Amino acid sequence: MILINCPYCGERDQSEFSNGGEAHVARPENSDSLNDKDWGQYVFYRDNPKGIFYERWVHSHGCRKWFNAVRNTATDEILKIYKVDEKTPKIDSFTNTLKTPSGEPKVGSGNFTVKK
Amino acid sequence: MSALDNKKSSYIKKNKKVSFTFDGKKYYGYKGDTIASALLRNNVRLIARSFKYHRPRGIYTCGIEEPNAIVQILNEHNEPNARATVKQIYEGMKVDSQNRWPSLNLDIGSINNLLSPMFSAGFYYKTFMGPKGFWKKIYEPIIRRTAGLGKPPKEFRSKSIHQNHNVDIVIVGAGLSGLIAARKLIDTEYDVLLLEQDSFLGGVLKNSNKVEQINNQEVNKWIKETERLIKISTNIKILKNSLVTSYNFTNHLIALEDKFAGKAIDTSKSELTLHKIRTTHTILANGHIERFISFRNNDLPGVMLASSFEKYIHRYGVIPETNPVIFTNNSTTVTLLKSLVDLGHKPVAYVDARDKNKIGKKLLTYLKKNNIPFYFNAEIEGCDGNKKVETISIRKNKNKIIKVKSSMLCVSGGINPDIHLFTQSKGLVKWDDKLITFKPDVPFQNTITIGSVSGNYNYEKTHDEINNKLSFLKPKNIEMKIKINDTNNFNIKELWETRHEKKSNWSKSFIDLHNDVTTKDLKQAVVEGFDRIEHLKRFTTNSMGTDQGKISSINSLGIVSKILKKEISEVGTTTYRPPYAPLSFSAIAGRNTYEFYDPQRKTPIHNWHINNKAIFEDVGQWKRPWYFKEHDSETMHQAVQRESKQTRQTAGILDGSTLGKIEIKGKDALEFMNLMYTNPFTKMKPMTSRYALMLGEDGMIKDDGIVCKFNDKHFIATTTSGGAPKVLADMEEYLQTEWPHLQVYVNSITEQFTTFNISGPKSRDIMSKVFTEVDFSNENFPFMTFKVFNYKGTEARIMRASFTGELGYEIYITPNHGLELWKRIFHHGNVFDLVPYGTETMHLLRAEKGYVVIGQETDGTVTPIDLNFNWMIGKKKKDFIGKRSLTRSDTAREDRKQLVGIVPLDKSEFIEEGQHVVERERLPNPIKTPVEYLGHVSSSYHSPNLNHCIAMAMIKGGNKLMGKKLFISSSYGTKNIAVEVVSPVFIDPENKRLTS
Ligand SMILES: [Zn+2]
Repeated sequence: MILINCPYCGERDQSEFSNGGEAHVARPENSDSLNDKDWGQYVFYRDNPKGIFYERWVHSHGCRKWFNAVRNTATDEILKIYKVDEKTPKIDSFTNTLKTPSGEPKVGSGNFTVKK
Repeated sequence: MSALDNKKSSYIKKNKKVSFTFDGKKYYGYKGDTIASALLRNNVRLIARSFKYHRPRGIYTCGIEEPNAIVQILNEHNEPNARATVKQIYEGMKVDSQNRWPSLNLDIGSINNLLSPMFSAGFYYKTFMGPKGFWKKIYEPIIRRTAGLGKPPKEFRSKSIHQNHNVDIVIVGAGLSGLIAARKLIDTEYDVLLLEQDSFLGGVLKNSNKVEQINNQEVNKWIKETERLIKISTNIKILKNSLVTSYNFTNHLIALEDKFAGKAIDTSKSELTLHKIRTTHTILANGHIERFISFRNNDLPGVMLASSFEKYIHRYGVIPETNPVIFTNNSTTVTLLKSLVDLGHKPVAYVDARDKNKIGKKLLTYLKKNNIPFYFNAEIEGCDGNKKVETISIRKNKNKIIKVKSSMLCVSGGINPDIHLFTQSKGLVKWDDKLITFKPDVPFQNTITIGSVSGNYNYEKTHDEINNKLSFLKPKNIEMKIKINDTNNFNIKELWETRHEKKSNWSKSFIDLHNDVTTKDLKQAVVEGFDRIEHLKRFTTNSMGTDQGKISSINSLGIVSKILKKEISEVGTTTYRPPYAPLSFSAIAGRNTYEFYDPQRKTPIHNWHINNKAIFEDVGQWKRPWYFKEHDSETMHQAVQRESKQTRQTAGILDGSTLGKIEIKGKDALEFMNLMYTNPFTKMKPMTSRYALMLGEDGMIKDDGIVCKFNDKHFIATTTSGGAPKVLADMEEYLQTEWPHLQVYVNSITEQFTTFNISGPKSRDIMSKVFTEVDFSNENFPFMTFKVFNYKGTEARIMRASFTGELGYEIYITPNHGLELWKRIFHHGNVFDLVPYGTETMHLLRAEKGYVVIGQETDGTVTPIDLNFNWMIGKKKKDFIGKRSLTRSDTAREDRKQLVGIVPLDKSEFIEEGQHVVERERLPNPIKTPVEYLGHVSSSYHSPNLNHCIAMAMIKGGNKLMGKKLFISSSYGTKNIAVEVVSPVFIDPENKRLTS
């Protein structure tokens, strides 16, 4: 189980938090003028990359505050945590540690997904 | 020869005799004995029947890796699948063998062995395919009886606790390397936890005499001294009987402590402790596990791993057989040989697969000197005997078979670093050509491996290795002079399987003893195309038993690599997943069982409900009265019909305290409410209320409730009983992430107010009597308004609203006055025949009125338009959650499922909830092509007020089908029930009762 450093409470067990999916998906202000496709893009589509991912978390069994995190979805490492009103860190400030396209090394599987 | 005591036992308390039973027969052992060591002491060799073929099996190992000797402990709530090689005996313990019928000695299931062609690789997938219906009636019951493990526990109440640790360093394993590491960390700045799976420290030091002396003293002395120093240290804690089962991400480890190892369970205390450990560094010193070699009948009772045999001698002081045959491909067996000779015994033969120069002169001289029959470049072809090893066939010089007699065969196929935990932690392993095994390579977390788990089999060098690897921690320098008993030369020769001579159905060469997988199965699986190791594992069930193939999984890689003509490193390993060893569900559950599994929420009126024969229903965590029994023999149907009828005739009251309540306050509360709900609140007058809907961004109904507007800066919204936490969380989410500029505070006040819903024609009369200071006249207290007033010094609120269609009021009062007020209402209400009703009547009454229930009529795919709730949508509002989605091409479709009412044409018929709405009178039998269906019945009740069945349904284009004849399927047969589509409002469509 991973540890998450709530910017308001400090490091806590993952079980205290809920994941809120991709971060920085702004709710369109002018939804009336959007066509179905663009609106649908906002409602139904989210990225799900293997590697660096910007996502939202809420300390649901704690201070109930929302915040953002940058996580490597392949390794579960949380690379950065920042408040909702803080500046979005640039993606090139993180090194993506995956080497092969799928992230799988040649040998075996499962536990071996992480190849440094 | 039979078993003998080793007088120099390091662990067993020979002065303490313990009696126990195995399959009903009484035996004696000593305190400290495992079931296995005690049975060996008593010359019991046949312990179990195998999983598939019911072959006789004995004790194969001396530890957690045991594939055969798993037993049922009858006096521990029938605990199944206990490993006899781990579980310690105590006075009065009752042990049974598993998977045999009628007895272990005579087992009828062993016929499976003769039918074995049917049970070959993938048999689960191939054999039980058809015909239809056979699975449930024939295959499954047979498989359940004959294949398998123990019987499930009986009358079992888990007693285990969880304990959390936050430390700097965890050391897994208190063997030689673990103890050295711990000793170096004594009185350092680190908090250290030392975990040992056994009841004592020492590991390999106690399992053999491979290490002779440490710092010129006996190893036992050194262990004792080390344990004493650790115990008086301020920074190291030892946990014995604690097996690390999981090594998770972020250095999070799970260890299971058996609080009653070697003792009868005291049922008033917790049996197991699940330790949840957070650490900065993990030192894995968890050692190695010996592996076997496949040969003909390598499963016969009497075949045992060589190091396990050695362990029985040194640790338990029992020599299972004084004259065994030893079969090896490496040098680890030398100490076993010497131990036997030192005790005055002699192996019948020492069979070494290696050639002379790999074996070394020293050993050759030793064997000669002691006159031990010795075969090099040789192997075991197989063994034979009736339920035990009797004859052992040695193949010498490639072809010559020599037969010797012995009841035991000690096998060593090499040793594997126990990489399970290391790979769980996502560390990478690599193949070592010299050691012929996988060993840890790159750690993924702060993991350090020391000792044999790191691939260092040389005990003399253990201290140097630890000094080197722990130097970054700046530990203490200690003196360590390790003297070993024999060569440090491992010198293994690759050998996975020997060649068979005989061929009969009974002759088998096993690769997985636990799951009865043979080496032939591996070959067949590859032939059938399962040449990837993960596929092959599942197809053959190799290494999928409770032992997880601890003594054989690397062997299977060796055999498969030969078939595929690949390097083993290319074949790779299968995934090592937690837990390392079986972990009982009761340990995982901890205290969260039965009434502690989930909190129960009760309203302040709960005890009154009990006294008035309420039958309760779970709504989320709430206990709500479902219905009230007037007398003990009243059925639910009778009670609900009575409650419903009386409410419409006089008055009824519902304890609605569970209703979610959220208070919304702040400068921008109005704007926020307009965004959250579909309804427009701007023009709404203060002190009025409104039925309101909340959607998701997809336009689907998420929740409903009544919104009370005090003023533009203050609202109270109710939610469904189960939906309150989610609605509050959604409000918070939008406030924090989308509209942080809005100054609004939301707060759950569900528990702050006890709520009663009183309704029926007499409710005004009753209310006027109870609250004499309030004017309940229609002019002064019209429908959908509310009043706040002082009730005994607290703020109370009464709202005129109704979920039944009758004249009704909702009372919100502080819980402290709840019960008293409830009783007062009855005091005044009894004259008017006031009846308490539960949730079932509430559902019936609302259905008569055509009111929907979120989660019953809706299922996350229903828009307000589908329910004809267009009037609730603030179309003029610029925005609200889900607004844009109401005009999506999909939500705007005319043939969406829409809410309608349904009544059977024959009024005596009853429609079942959940049934399909179709156009044909009869369903074909059997149904060959899909029958087009229009929708489903979402609610159905027998209306006591109309005296026939009324139902609500969601059907395609329902609004256009009014008056049409359709059919509803039933669970009774292929004949459908003819119905008419009607308006869902069955009672008082003009709302006269509601508003008068
Ligand atoms: Zn927090």
